Amino acid sequence: MRRFWITAGAILAALIAQVMLAPHLALFGAVPSFPVLVVITLAIVEGPQAGAVSGFAAGLMLDLLGTSPVGAWALVLVIVGYLAGLLQENLFAEGWLMPFTVAIVAGVLAELSYLIVLQVIGSAPEFWRSLWTVVLPRGIYNTVLALLLYPWLARFLRSDQSMKSFRRLA
Amino acid sequence: MKVTLEDPKRGNPLLLIMLIIVSLALVTVYFREGDSGPIHKLRSGMLEVTAPFERAGNAIVSPFTAVGSWFSDLSISREDLESLEAQNDELLARLAELEEARQENERLRELVAFAEERKLTTLGARIIGRPTSSWEGVITIDRGSADGVEPGMPVLAAQGLVGQVLEVSKNSAKVVLITDQRSGVAALIQSTRVPGVVEGSIEGGLTLEFVSSEEKPVQGDVILTSGLGGVYPQGLVIGDVTSVEERRGELFPRITVTSRVPIAQVEEVLVLVGAVLDTDVDEGSVE
Repeated sequence: MRRFWITAGAILAALIAQVMLAPHLALFGAVPSFPVLVVITLAIVEGPQAGAVSGFAAGLMLDLLGTSPVGAWALVLVIVGYLAGLLQENLFAEGWLMPFTVAIVAGVLAELSYLIVLQVIGSAPEFWRSLWTVVLPRGIYNTVLALLLYPWLARFLRSDQSMKSFRRLA
Repeated sequence: MKVTLEDPKRGNPLLLIMLIIVSLALVTVYFREGDSGPIHKLRSGMLEVTAPFERAGNAIVSPFTAVGSWFSDLSISREDLESLEAQNDELLARLAELEEARQENERLRELVAFAEERKLTTLGARIIGRPTSSWEGVITIDRGSADGVEPGMPVLAAQGLVGQVLEVSKNSAKVVLITDQRSGVAALIQSTRVPGVVEGSIEGGLTLEFVSSEEKPVQGDVILTSGLGGVYPQGLVIGDVTSVEERRGELFPRITVTSRVPIAQVEEVLVLVGAVLDTDVDEGSVE
């Protein structure tokens, strides 16, 4: 039960940060996504199942916060959370390399998948232009932030509190 | 191999499939239900809940215009220095408050003059939230259904058109900017009266579409709302033409328009809540 509340609290805090801070941290039009960072971190430290469930919750919150069709971010983050968890389980790396690889793959994949979902449901921005102006800048920005926040966020979100964030073998 | 729900660190394809189905069901319900459906109501509730946080975020960040610098002066005592620093801080704070009030007064005067000049029935509003996602050009204002704001109402600034109200909660509303990739505004070129449609884009730029090569504008031409479609009143400034490029194999040239509204700096806007009292403004020159 404690895990549930910690996860719910982290997603809620990410949502508040998204509303209060993210618009003011925009760089060249790229607004960071704190809920995506929390989902990726949860997937890395807790595995694919936690990644999928937290992805659904965070995605739904993002959907309700925005003005695009509800369910799009939920769908994307369910899949990205699950895949990030699987990637972490199957990646042979340690130290910075593991969270870096998972964060960059998941960060860019989340934005790319969202673009594809928007294309499929007809809310379509131009694909290639969106790729260069939103997907890559935002994916990279999220990755940089994920790496800066990961050690602290992972320590807070991990079940095994005694484990050091960057000494974990994949 | 048996995978149970009690083992959260292992993959569970069944759970993944279930969550995907629920997400797809949400998308379907969202499209099928009307504006008064449960998901739309939930979103409106979310806007009501998050608006105070947006306002707080804005309030916290906006005063960060100056950072105090620390220095020492050996010719006076530390006690005097601290006293002078305290006085200085107090005076600087007062000065900042007065300057803020003066600037706000100036901006509001401009807005009121703009509305009066065009005989528009408007409602002043403050911007309390900026875009929370790179995918959407949407801002939040501090007026909602309690103030008579409804979806579809145009939103203006003293420099020109800002956007249109998209969603409304009791005390706040979301405004989709004309630069959003979903936006399209019926427009005309002021000098030639040639109609077209100004569309937003994912990177926040504007283009004038459906204007043929024979009727294309020149750099510097002013683009106004045409009033067609009934959403925006006629004669509001959308922006200025900044480039015109012929595209090989394309029917229409690429006409880039730059909005006159510096949306990142604008703090107050007007919501057009009533009918336009007089629509002769398109005849006037806009410079």
